[in-house]
Amino acid sequence: MKKIIAMLLAMAMLLCFAACETPNIPDTPDNTEPVQDSFTFTYKGTKIALHAPAADVVAALGEPKTYSESTSCAFEGLDKSYGYGSFYLETYPIGDKDYVYGWYFVDDMVENDEGICIGSSKADVEAAYGAENYNGTNAFEVTKGSGKLTIILENDVVSSVQYVIITE
Amino acid sequence: MKKKIALLLSALVLAGVILFCLQALLVPKYMVGKHKEGALISEYYDNAGNNDVIFIGDCEVYENFSPITMWEKYGITSYIRGSAQQLIWQSYYLMEETFQYETPKVMVFNVLSMKYDTPKATGDQSQREAYNRMTLDGMRWSKSKWDSIYASMTEEEKEKEAMYSYLLPLLRYHDRWSQLTAEDFKYWFKRDTVSDNGYLMQTGVKPLEDEHVERPLVNYDFGENSWYYLDKMTELCKSKGVQLVLIKAPALSPVWWPQWDAQIEEYAAENDLLYINMLEYQEEIGIDWSTDTYDTGLHLNVYGAEKAADWFGKVLQEQCGVPDRREDTQISALWAEKAEVYHNRKKEMEQNKE
Repeated sequence: MKKIIAMLLAMAMLLCFAACETPNIPDTPDNTEPVQDSFTFTYKGTKIALHAPAADVVAALGEPKTYSESTSCAFEGLDKSYGYGSFYLETYPIGDKDYVYGWYFVDDMVENDEGICIGSSKADVEAAYGAENYNGTNAFEVTKGSGKLTIILENDVVSSVQYVIITE
Repeated sequence: MKKKIALLLSALVLAGVILFCLQALLVPKYMVGKHKEGALISEYYDNAGNNDVIFIGDCEVYENFSPITMWEKYGITSYIRGSAQQLIWQSYYLMEETFQYETPKVMVFNVLSMKYDTPKATGDQSQREAYNRMTLDGMRWSKSKWDSIYASMTEEEKEKEAMYSYLLPLLRYHDRWSQLTAEDFKYWFKRDTVSDNGYLMQTGVKPLEDEHVERPLVNYDFGENSWYYLDKMTELCKSKGVQLVLIKAPALSPVWWPQWDAQIEEYAAENDLLYINMLEYQEEIGIDWSTDTYDTGLHLNVYGAEKAADWFGKVLQEQCGVPDRREDTQISALWAEKAEVYHNRKKEMEQNKE
């Protein structure tokens, strides 16, 4: 009987401390350095890449015209948004460092590496990315590595160019 | 033989007690620091009953309305059942659970969470799971909790049978033993109250400097699942004879797109519901974004939450007929105590510049 009791208690302890896969909780952030495997964009000689360390990019781009930040409802760190007039750069935190989450154009003064900008025609976009990436309604969606490019059209004219990391 | 059975039972009880104590020690307490919102859901049960208004929703309810102000200005008894990134299916099951404890006159639901159609749409797995915990772990066991857990899991999580870790949180938190702090021991078996009837106070000021700009969406249509749960809320409230009021709280980010607003307006009109987008009444409410927010316009601080509660309390009384309970001596005495705690908390936080 003593053996049974000992076994039961041992099982209880094992259950508690057994190593198994558990997701993060707020006070145990994942500090893994992200891999840069996706889209880039060059603005006035500064190359911006998804997942790149944000400090270097922000320093190279100079003083932003606007800046805002948002906390998630409960987590450490801040999502930050830097406005440079023609585009916005967004970052996300891992531990105490920020990384590039994405960027999007807000006027026709900037274009991407394929020459697409706000105001480009649907035909231009199709020539650059192929008809197979059209969603059939109002957007081209192109994935590359862990990044996604979305080009939104209004009346067959580009109204938004957005790059973002794929989180799931 | 009897002795052996008795010994076996004793061993089982002992193992149960050990597991219970370990679980109580290892689960997050959410009592100090930046994660106090994790404690909100469980605080309701000590305050259940005799609330004429129940707010349900995400941080846009528990940060933006002060129930004490609504009591002091209008004699309205209310409670906020809010939690961090509360999703619409979680809101529905919290609403359903609330009816086990009381039947208020008005249920107020903040519609921002309509933007998240499915569990997978709410972010990466680890973040989603941590938010889920803050809403689900605090609920008492009931069919509503079970259904809420099930609705909150992705298909992959269901396949991994993650349900068991909600049944026995020790399975989820067993490896926290190396991260235990003094907080875990201090609050091992007892918790402080972090909210004032579900309102989580903030006294800091961080003014809005630049407008919050967000990337446009490919598709602004709310998803089928969101509509499904909003329909269920509407039906549930109608079946209980409770007025459902839809609101968009006065917060500037995430952006509340005009296309979303139009869909909710149409839904409210079709279902004979009151819908108030408080962003349209910022001036009337008196919100000053240089003084009334602690995080550049994402949420209100206590000064803004008192203004929002003052404005909305009037709406509740004039448009929904919520009664003034200040003549009731028993209720008045109870709320006088709550108000004292609230004002002391406010004074202390102001002094500590929290």
